[in-house]
Amino acid sequence: MEAIVAEYNYWIYILLMMIGLYAMLAKNNLIKKVIGMSIFQTAIILFYVSISAKREATIPIIAHGHGHDTAHAVVEAAQYANPLPHVLMLTAIVVSVGTLGVALAICLAIHRRYNTLEEDEIQEQLQ
Amino acid sequence: MIWQIDLSVLTLVVLCAFATIMVKDLLSAAIIFGAYSFLMCLLWTEMGAVDVAFTEASVGAGVSTILFIAITFQTSRTVKKRKKGRYAAKILGLLAAVIMGLVLLAAEAHFPGFGDPGSPASLHLSPYYITHTLADTAVPNAVTSVLADYRGFDTMFETAVIFTAGLAVIAILRRVKQADRCELPEPVTISEGYEDTIIRFVSRQLVPFMQLFALYVVAHGHHSPGGGFQGGVILGASFILLAISYDLNLVTSRMSEKTNIMLGNIGVLIYAGIGVIALLLGANFLDYSILHKILPATGPVMARSHGMLGIEIGVAIAVMAIVIAIYLNLSSHGKLDKGL
Amino acid sequence: MNILIIVLVVAGLFLFFATTVGILRFPDFYSRMHAAGKGDTLSSLLMLGGLVLYELHEFNLATILVGAKIMLIAVFIFMASPTATHAITDAGFESGVKPWQKEKPGEEG
Repeated sequence: MEAIVAEYNYWIYILLMMIGLYAMLAKNNLIKKVIGMSIFQTAIILFYVSISAKREATIPIIAHGHGHDTAHAVVEAAQYANPLPHVLMLTAIVVSVGTLGVALAICLAIHRRYNTLEEDEIQEQLQ
Repeated sequence: MIWQIDLSVLTLVVLCAFATIMVKDLLSAAIIFGAYSFLMCLLWTEMGAVDVAFTEASVGAGVSTILFIAITFQTSRTVKKRKKGRYAAKILGLLAAVIMGLVLLAAEAHFPGFGDPGSPASLHLSPYYITHTLADTAVPNAVTSVLADYRGFDTMFETAVIFTAGLAVIAILRRVKQADRCELPEPVTISEGYEDTIIRFVSRQLVPFMQLFALYVVAHGHHSPGGGFQGGVILGASFILLAISYDLNLVTSRMSEKTNIMLGNIGVLIYAGIGVIALLLGANFLDYSILHKILPATGPVMARSHGMLGIEIGVAIAVMAIVIAIYLNLSSHGKLDKGL
Repeated sequence: MNILIIVLVVAGLFLFFATTVGILRFPDFYSRMHAAGKGDTLSSLLMLGGLVLYELHEFNLATILVGAKIMLIAVFIFMASPTATHAITDAGFESGVKPWQKEKPGEEG
């Protein structure tokens, strides 16, 4: 059962990424494209976080971290989840919200200029 | 890592993603996107990534949903039907997605095993971070110590990117002079200046506690999940709550645009400033251990912990200012007079 | 003690299930909001209460702190969730959503 679950995880990530990609390419409305971009970004973050997960491991906050004699305690690296992809993904999430803000601002400016948010109507007005 | 939760939440996440892009009503799409974000957040908590889940809960399920709703109120609420006969984009998009998916599936056979402690990602550098974070920096939260100390340069540039995004939104949308404004279509609002005692009272009571909690999150980021980004987003969200339940003028009277941009500046300046102070004292840029020369009664190890707190404060101030700036400009079409 | 925890969590779960069934089956917007608001708040509070009791199995300062934090979350949910329900229902009323009337026999649909 564990093997099937492991494979199922990776297939779901690929499926989510492809849903996001399809929404960005094929949808007509600009807001739907931006939603597809967000889905794609969160799927990538899910993939990285799943790399950092370890079986029988706890969150990457060192236990018994309070007190003054903690520097001498032995810390096992296999007990804690890998913190390095978490750090990269923290940066990715915050940058993605910045990108979302700018994308929505551009959508608003396009709506102000062309009075529509549908891609085919905008392309007609461009010609 | 409980596989039953994994399976069920993953299935729900895919269903939510399908629903978000298929629905015709954009407001429903925004709300389903909020639910999708929250389910992702649950998934990441179950895999042990609590800091990432906290950030996604505050940013993705909170602020992103509000930004989408603000946009939906300014533009049209529903998706118009595509004109007949333009199916080329759909078929090509489907084909591209399927081919890409098959390529990724072929690569998937070589992925490391799920949850394997011996996978290459967990072997080379990260055991050093886990085993040495307490001894080097006296901070138990390995994610905070890697984010703010071992990889401090990344975080500094990320704060600069956030600040740039806020500036870009202001540059695209903000219209100050009367001559710059072209004919704006009427935004779709349900009621004008609708007053509701219950909502106003409850949000007035909640906002100080939200801000207190945000400060707690920033300060306690060394020992629990948290840190500068999450605290900054919660601080910004408290202002957005005020703007939604009251009027936009209430927020602009308390935080004018000039204060907003100044706060964003100050945030990035605190971060880079601590690095420059370290440079002036004779060590490398952003090497906090040299700060024990100017901070009283600390050693080099505790100075790193205090330096991390300083830059987390800078990050929180910058993120708060930018989240408020993005919301203010998006919800009022750049005019900053009347919001949602 | 364990029995109490199990009773609280299962009661919360059952109420969540009942809320979902109510949202799907009620005929009208207002009755659905009724089910959603009350059911969600109460079941969240019950489950959080069960979690606090589970935390207090060992009785030292750290677990009391965690229990206090969970109680604060429960207070927040108790304040915010009914307000959100009120906001949605008011928005529906202002938009003119009409309450469901039982159809009298002999009236045209």
